[in-house]
Amino acid sequence: MAKYLGVIIDEKRMAAIKGTPLEEKVQSIFGGALRRLVIEVSDELGQKVIDQFTKARFDARGYIEETPAAFKRAVFKRIAEMKDLSEAVIEKVLAEDLDKVKEDAAKEDKELPVPDVDISDVLELQKNPVQKPA
Amino acid sequence: MPEVRIKTLPPPHGGKLVERVVRDPQMARKLMEKCSAVYDIKPTLFKGNPVRNVYREIMSVCYGFFSPVEGSMTKADLESVLERRRLASGWVFPYPIVFDISEEDFKKLGVGAGDWLLLRLKGEPFAILEIEEVYEIVPGDVAVRTFGTPEKNPEVVKVPFDQKHTGYNIYCSLNPIVLAGKYTIINEPKLRPPFDRFWYPPKRSREEFEKRGWTTVIAHQTRNVPHTGHEALMKNAAYIGDVKPCDGIVVNAIVGAKRIGDFPDEAIVEGHEMVHLAGYIKPERHLVSFTLWDMRYGNPIESLIHAVIRQNMGISFHMFGRDHAALGEYYDIFATQILWSKGIPSFGFEEPPYMVDGGFYIRPQNIEEFWFCPKCKEFAYSANCSHKGIYSRYSGSFIRGLINEGVMPPPEIYRPEVYKVVVKWWQKFGYPFNNEKYLKEREERLEVDLPHMELPAHLKK
Repeated sequence: MAKYLGVIIDEKRMAAIKGTPLEEKVQSIFGGALRRLVIEVSDELGQKVIDQFTKARFDARGYIEETPAAFKRAVFKRIAEMKDLSEAVIEKVLAEDLDKVKEDAAKEDKELPVPDVDISDVLELQKNPVQKPA
Repeated sequence: MPEVRIKTLPPPHGGKLVERVVRDPQMARKLMEKCSAVYDIKPTLFKGNPVRNVYREIMSVCYGFFSPVEGSMTKADLESVLERRRLASGWVFPYPIVFDISEEDFKKLGVGAGDWLLLRLKGEPFAILEIEEVYEIVPGDVAVRTFGTPEKNPEVVKVPFDQKHTGYNIYCSLNPIVLAGKYTIINEPKLRPPFDRFWYPPKRSREEFEKRGWTTVIAHQTRNVPHTGHEALMKNAAYIGDVKPCDGIVVNAIVGAKRIGDFPDEAIVEGHEMVHLAGYIKPERHLVSFTLWDMRYGNPIESLIHAVIRQNMGISFHMFGRDHAALGEYYDIFATQILWSKGIPSFGFEEPPYMVDGGFYIRPQNIEEFWFCPKCKEFAYSANCSHKGIYSRYSGSFIRGLINEGVMPPPEIYRPEVYKVVVKWWQKFGYPFNNEKYLKEREERLEVDLPHMELPAHLKK
């Protein structure tokens, strides 16, 4: 059974592939709320990716998930560079970028920058919980 | 005409709710006098990381979540559980519950059958173990027999378990000596915030249901911050009931040591609470609770402990989705539903667990899956929607991946208020998921604090 690696395409990434054949391959998911590119890989190559990262695994859909963000960044960089969505992209990342990816991933495992989101509304809601301490 | 209304809560599993908590300090002192040694509870470690703390099992036993189990299993119970997923008494029970100890500690303690052992937690007296039997186990063997193998359990086990499976690692990391016997909590712990407001052990949950007038209640198992797919599952599964949909939806989170990469438990319970605080399900119909248990990720086997817990809480129905309490591809993704629709003979179930002797009153609501369909314009049930190629399937790990990449999940996937709860705990812990630092710190902090209690003089030596 084939496995898949999805790479989320935000505005910045979309701009990087604009005008290339990749643009047509961008898939819309969740009713257009998100966009992604998908690379199909063999079981063996999928497993090779999983083996590189302790948290990585196949999810129920057959997607390789919970790889470090650094890995996804490296994959996108190679996609844009090679203008390709074949296994060759993943092979290139594993062959040439892995040390740097692992170095960045080790930092990611310790701390991730907190998003700048105003949470005052939920703190207000939590002031009066319906369920009270026992 | 047969009566179709459900007028009462189901009985506890095994017939009687276990409650082994002494609240009278004088009685606690008397019981401590009978103890011959003290043991400080330690976490179970795998490669230096905490994967289990037996205190959670002691809490779940003594507050009745695991009724009819009353303590650390005897050899006969353990063998029976591993062999046929039943206690020696015949009641269905899926997992070994044991108090394991190293050979070195065992020699130091110098205890044996007939002795009472005082268990200390966070430096304070916590519980008593009345030692009935001492025996040895081979942890790797217990691990393999607990989860099954492709050869012995071909109906649902796809690949052999290995060290990528947290539950398997828990059993492989047990100590080789088991002290079997009943537990009694003699110094009632105080739950720490935010867990305190979600603490509904079976006696209290049953009282709460009665207070709310609930007789039909459905359980939602969780180890996740809820996405909109979970919410659709809860709302739609709750259409089961009797002459009307279920009175109550009870979220019961499993709180304990989990795998690196899962959400912190604080975000999980508060994320579910936010579903009712932000009005997506009325709070009158929605109750968030938790059970202390270091999740084994045993898919069909885990579903049985869920049934034990939730029936004891007074819950009549249990929703089982795709990949229930699973990790990786060890089991068929519908293994739990196979168990609860036709049984899994190799695990001791020729019929579903509600039809066998010693089985459950709780009934399954087997749900295939919900996905987001832009054509249906709804969270569509997979058995209804046939818009192949355009629907988007949910995946918790996909959403965690988005968060990891710094992408705010769109409202189609996550309620904004729920995402903000994730951010709240991200601010607190510096990380949105369990990492090594979080897991180590939480094992020191635990979910409880213990009041100070003096040790009897003979145990101070």
